[in-house]
Amino acid sequence: MAAFELFLQQLINGLTIGMLYALIALGYTMVYGVLQLINFAHGEVFMAGAYLALSAIWITTAAFAGAPVFVVLLSLFVLSIAGCALLGAVIEKVAYKPLRGSPKLTVLITSIGVSFFLQNAVMLIYGSKEQGVPEILPPTQFAFGNVSFSLLQAVIFSVSLALMVLLNWFIKHTLLGKAMRALAENPEAASLMGIPVNAVIRMTFVIGSALAAVAGALFALNYGSINFHDGYLAGLKAFTAAVLGGIGSMPGAMLGGLFLGVFEGLAAGYISSEWKDVFAFILLVVVLIFKPSGLRGENIPEKV
Amino acid sequence: MTRRALKAWLLSAVVFATLTAPVSAKEDEVSIGVVAPLTGDQAYIGIGVQQGAQLAVEDANVKGPVFGNTRLKLLSMDDQHNPTQAVLAANKLIANPDALGVVGHFNSSCSKAASSIYHEGRMAQVSPASTNPDISKQGFDTFFRVCATDDVQAPAAANFVASKLGLKKIAVLDDQTTYGKGLANEFEKKFKALGGTVLRHDGIKQGEKDFTPLLTKIKSLGPELIFYGGVYPEMALLIKQSRKMGLEVPWMGGDGIYDVSLIRLATPELSEGTYATMLGVDPHSLPEAKDFVARYEARYGEIGSFSAYAYDAANVLIEAIRRAGTRDRETVLNQVRSTKDFPGVLGVINFDAKGDAIGKSISIFKIENGKFKFIEEVKPEVANPPAG
Repeated sequence: MAAFELFLQQLINGLTIGMLYALIALGYTMVYGVLQLINFAHGEVFMAGAYLALSAIWITTAAFAGAPVFVVLLSLFVLSIAGCALLGAVIEKVAYKPLRGSPKLTVLITSIGVSFFLQNAVMLIYGSKEQGVPEILPPTQFAFGNVSFSLLQAVIFSVSLALMVLLNWFIKHTLLGKAMRALAENPEAASLMGIPVNAVIRMTFVIGSALAAVAGALFALNYGSINFHDGYLAGLKAFTAAVLGGIGSMPGAMLGGLFLGVFEGLAAGYISSEWKDVFAFILLVVVLIFKPSGLRGENIPEKV
Repeated sequence: MTRRALKAWLLSAVVFATLTAPVSAKEDEVSIGVVAPLTGDQAYIGIGVQQGAQLAVEDANVKGPVFGNTRLKLLSMDDQHNPTQAVLAANKLIANPDALGVVGHFNSSCSKAASSIYHEGRMAQVSPASTNPDISKQGFDTFFRVCATDDVQAPAAANFVASKLGLKKIAVLDDQTTYGKGLANEFEKKFKALGGTVLRHDGIKQGEKDFTPLLTKIKSLGPELIFYGGVYPEMALLIKQSRKMGLEVPWMGGDGIYDVSLIRLATPELSEGTYATMLGVDPHSLPEAKDFVARYEARYGEIGSFSAYAYDAANVLIEAIRRAGTRDRETVLNQVRSTKDFPGVLGVINFDAKGDAIGKSISIFKIENGKFKFIEEVKPEVANPPAG
């Protein structure tokens, strides 16, 4: 394989995981925007999305033997999005809303508690073993010379990109999107202007969780085995991506996710896979030294 | 709670404690511990270990008191596959005067970290599955294990690849744990000594899902086989991801990948042709283990890869306690050390001076038609491999 082809292949590898990081990172950044909270339970919502997608596959294939691919795909996205959106709303209502106005550290630690709770709940429901996810999509590969990508990778690219474009439009042009931006800018002024703060916060959790659900479903399909522990590492990476891009900034989260995925992939492919996390975090430190608010972040002092 | 209510509550608690204290002086109970990852990423194996030990303790109590009027109790503890937790659990155990010995830990990293604590507490530690050779080289006379070590397992694998399969160029991966790295290093050492070439030796991270960048690079080097030191969840991902990118060479791993779940996760088609070494032999194939396997599976469902080892380890301890006939740890420890020809379900158990099991053979398996097919048994080259 020629060196350039190898590079292109590594770029595709990195972009695939980067897309998933970006989808999860959006949830971190949106919640941070409205609440200045790092929601550590977000990685677990992503993991729950993966498990819900698996459940949907089980249910549809059991109920309608030989259901067409399209139906299975639709049902798994619908179930995991709906389930996670509900989960996000419940987490916000039960764990964070009662703590509105308490010190930020309290809420932060609560979110770690929620994360432990979700991990162990999933372990109790689905068991501690890795769960295999059946292959739904045909294993079609598109090859250009020695560079190849799978049908599933194409799905990951297109679904993620479409969602990011949609979200961008939503935040810029809808009433709810404007309310979110207003809340992020100045919560007090926003509430004085008649913006229903609690409802907007709840919707932020719902949207962020729905994005994590899509990432979870794609993750389950792509890797074919899931574990109740998966939210931890993916969440950590996505959080890094969000900080890298500038926490609070949505284009930043997308950029940060893709950047991190590609950087990691190249580090593992060209330097050493043992050191890839080290390089990822060195990248973070270097970016924060030169741009303390991240790649796309605005310079707002006094945030966590 | 008001101050008065608190006072009343405290008073009644003290009274209650005084009244019940003589009754709870457990003069008729001793215990053995079992420490394994019961939660966390390796709970799936740890629970099988715990159940094996549980069954041994129940069997012992059916047989009658271990000595005098003393019954046996199992203390299950969770180390979460985390050496820090392993040390905490070990400290808790040695602080408990009823605890006379421990079955554990599962992971080499945990067994190693906890071994100095047990040594301090003079408590016999019998590991069912920690195969890293370094653990028994620390000079702790409290450490024993009923499984073979990686300096027997990995050379057996290397020999098989070089001589039986006749391969010359391979790549080695490990999961950077005490177990995985130890196994992979021993494999690499032996394979090079046999004249083979190791193109690359890379580490991956447990819990990671995406290995495509690393595999893309390995593919470009063109190895004839890839050896992996680690456990099956990552092995399944490595197999699947390599096959999807058209990297068709066979994989091989150690006892950590010998689990039917590997075939389930990697699918029978893609895992076809994968080699695994396993400590000892499959309990299903042993007549001595038949009764144990049947009772285990009736009680808990499918037997774990290390449940039989935990059962044997617990029984070695229990027999030592019976022979010791006292709750003195040092005496129990001496009895464990003088274990001779103990009839375990996985074969006869004897310990050498380091506490390693003697004469444990290795089996080589290959996945064919969705099953681990036995290929050959490798007897240890010498009764006990030379240190180093």
